[in-house]
Amino acid sequence: MLALVLLATACGMIPPEPHTKEAKEVFWLYNVVLVMGAIVFVGVEGFIVYSVIRYRRRDDRLPTQVHGNNLVEMIWTAIPTVIVLILFVLSTLTLNSISQAATHPGVTIEVEGKQWSWVFHYLDEDGDPSNDVIVQGTALDGANMALPVGEPVKLILISHDVIHSFYVPAFLVKRDVVPLPEGKAPNELEFTVSEPGTYSGQCAEFCGDLHARMTFTVQAMSRADFDKWIAAIRAGETPAPSVPAGGGVVKVSAKNTAFDTKALEAAAGQPFKIEFTNDDSFDHNVGIWKGSEEVFRGEIFSGPATKTYDVSGLEAGEYTFVCDVHPAMNGTLTVK
Amino acid sequence: MATTALTPTSEGYRRSWVIEWLTTVDHKKIGILYIVNSFAFFFAAGILALLVRSELAVPGLQFLDERTYNQAFTMHGTIMIFLFVVPVLSGFANYIVPLQLGAPDMAFPRINALSFWFLPLGGLLIFSGYLFGGAAAEGWTLYTPLSGGAYSTGVGTDLWLIGLLLVGTASILGSVNFIATIFKMRAPGMTLFRMPILVWTVLVTATLILLATPVLAAGMIALFIDRNYGGSFFDPNTGGNPILWQHLFWFFGHPEVYIVILPAMGVVSEILPVFTRRPLFGYRAFVFATIAIGLLSFSVWAHHMFTTGQVFLPFFSFMTALIAIPTGVKMFNWLATLWRGSIVFATPMLFALGFLSMFLIGGISGVMLSAPPVDFHLQDTYFVVAHLHYVFFGGSVFGVFAATYYWFPKMTGRRLNEPLGKVHFWMHFIGFNVAFFPQHILGIQGMPRRVADYSPDAGWTLLNLVSTAGAFLIAASVIPFLVNVVATFINGERVGDDPWEGNTLEWATSSPPPPYNFDKLPPIRSERPVFDLRHKHDAEHAGVEPSGPEGGHA
Repeated sequence: MLALVLLATACGMIPPEPHTKEAKEVFWLYNVVLVMGAIVFVGVEGFIVYSVIRYRRRDDRLPTQVHGNNLVEMIWTAIPTVIVLILFVLSTLTLNSISQAATHPGVTIEVEGKQWSWVFHYLDEDGDPSNDVIVQGTALDGANMALPVGEPVKLILISHDVIHSFYVPAFLVKRDVVPLPEGKAPNELEFTVSEPGTYSGQCAEFCGDLHARMTFTVQAMSRADFDKWIAAIRAGETPAPSVPAGGGVVKVSAKNTAFDTKALEAAAGQPFKIEFTNDDSFDHNVGIWKGSEEVFRGEIFSGPATKTYDVSGLEAGEYTFVCDVHPAMNGTLTVK
Repeated sequence: MATTALTPTSEGYRRSWVIEWLTTVDHKKIGILYIVNSFAFFFAAGILALLVRSELAVPGLQFLDERTYNQAFTMHGTIMIFLFVVPVLSGFANYIVPLQLGAPDMAFPRINALSFWFLPLGGLLIFSGYLFGGAAAEGWTLYTPLSGGAYSTGVGTDLWLIGLLLVGTASILGSVNFIATIFKMRAPGMTLFRMPILVWTVLVTATLILLATPVLAAGMIALFIDRNYGGSFFDPNTGGNPILWQHLFWFFGHPEVYIVILPAMGVVSEILPVFTRRPLFGYRAFVFATIAIGLLSFSVWAHHMFTTGQVFLPFFSFMTALIAIPTGVKMFNWLATLWRGSIVFATPMLFALGFLSMFLIGGISGVMLSAPPVDFHLQDTYFVVAHLHYVFFGGSVFGVFAATYYWFPKMTGRRLNEPLGKVHFWMHFIGFNVAFFPQHILGIQGMPRRVADYSPDAGWTLLNLVSTAGAFLIAASVIPFLVNVVATFINGERVGDDPWEGNTLEWATSSPPPPYNFDKLPPIRSERPVFDLRHKHDAEHAGVEPSGPEGGHA
């Protein structure tokens, strides 16, 4: 049992498998540092345990009164000095290696962190902003960043509100997204993804109420798939057709993480509008659930602001309306 | 000996004990006020920790919404650091340092009282945010621009700033008092190199407070102006720089780490020699290591900012790694003190040994974080939460409990019940490791700190549940401790003036000591005058030399 716990602990102390060229170097450095730390830990802890067992008081004799020894002091000043110098040299070499900037990154993305979502703006060189690919996430659905495998990727990290941090555990790296005064260059982060796959990431610098929901994914794919992905977004991505109103307008508002009503009504079979007022300074929305299935999800936004959702006709019955960000905010929608 | 004449008549004034305690300028009573006040805040902040851990036990929001959660961890960190760990150690120093120096009181008794009374006031101001629309919720580091007027509209953040300014002022006044006391109030014969290690650590700590706290105070005033009067210190939209706040905060904040760990190291360095019956190995090396840590602590602040992309990494990485050297020297000296000692496992010693083994882990994880590429992964994850708790809790708080058990007989004349103390220690020790060790793994696997919730798919659920169970075990360990303190206070074993066979001057007077402390002092010929007195005959007959670095031989 104890052995099992120790084994699980040892495995847990090793970071996630690295998936970028840079992360593989950091992974190696981390493991060297971990082993050095483990040796020091076992040595010192072992000495403490041995001493307290071996030298527990057995009689009332006074042990020899040793006050110190200069030679010994010099030796054990030298030991940690050597250890930390080795560590410093290794870490500086790794740092220089992973900080090499590519002259021609395959993709350059302006990453904007904002309360509480990510915006990925793929920069191209055609100078035409109308065809730019922009992926916008929400606090509920993190944005997805598609990337080609094997090419250097450059992220330009900008913020216009508070400090965030772009963190992908599988890449073993994070970089703060700092709102800087005009004239100061934003932070950049470069890496080369080595394996295709989907990697989750999230904001790592505390940024306010919904910090925990500021997630995103990185989807690494072949260059061909990446080009298709870009083309698909450029071609398609038409906004959902708006629904003509027939069933009237339902009003609801949210304040202090609570709806102003517990019960709403709508007519069955007819499209209707929900006029939703968010009086909180953070994200809310209105979603409509039938049992465990969400039949409608309104856009999440932070207030104070009002938005009108178009809902297509629902069958008669009892529904639950919920803020998808705060499931504790809910009520009953009766459709008849 | 001369001090007896200073004792004023106690017959002259008869005051109720309430007035007596509210108006006292006696360093011992003020020390106890500090300690009791600090433990009250410790329990309050501990309840906040339980709220945080309960919310994180399983994925999903069960008990708190995000705002309440954010307030809980912000207030937990703030109160634990500024109103528990720092002041409780100041309290012990207040009580013990004048006694260890053979002094009748602190140099400025009235300033001493003033600096204490700022603390409950400041603490209540910080907490009072809860009454006015919500406490500060930006983390104990209060990073700008999140803590600026545009993103934290509540008055809670202003109350946090004002309350903490008072607490900081109290620290500055207190440190002036300690420095003056240590340099000017020592008894005849108490040379600097005969001072107990606790006094040395308090001296270095006071110097750090004096140099670091004004920088934070300036930053807090600037932030207050930013928030309320449109200053442009930290707001990037008006030409300010939010990173400046981080520099100011951590220029204070990193010395702060040593402000809370050095006195705990001092406590441990008092306790180990007593319970091993050996002098502290390498007294002078220990003093120089303490001073070196103090100096280096001012050149490492930006290692908290490696991922900001705005600092020169190699310098701060190098200086951070260097600080491991004097810390390592201390560890080796403690180990050498244990070696061939005659060790008894009284409760203070258990907590001191707990300090050694837990602080070791915090030290190792700190060195790991000093490598910038490693820090890029681990910064702002639960690994850092685990690291800082192994330093603050595994280090300082173990030191605080060691001090409590060690000096309780000095303060009351009664010894805390030993079996109950051992139950407390083991619950505390196991609970601490169950709560915080798994957080290393959570951080390495990528769980960021300060999140109210996490995905059930992330694979973090089991370890979070374990960590929460550990937190509740720590909370449960408070019960035997409190029962012990109350029961002992009412009806504990009376153990005389020197129950542990102590080495230093506080054990040469009665328990509790009289006003102005000493009727007479033993001769001070080493850093262990009471030891020398006890073994005077051994010295004559068995060749035990007077202790002290000069008298030593290997």
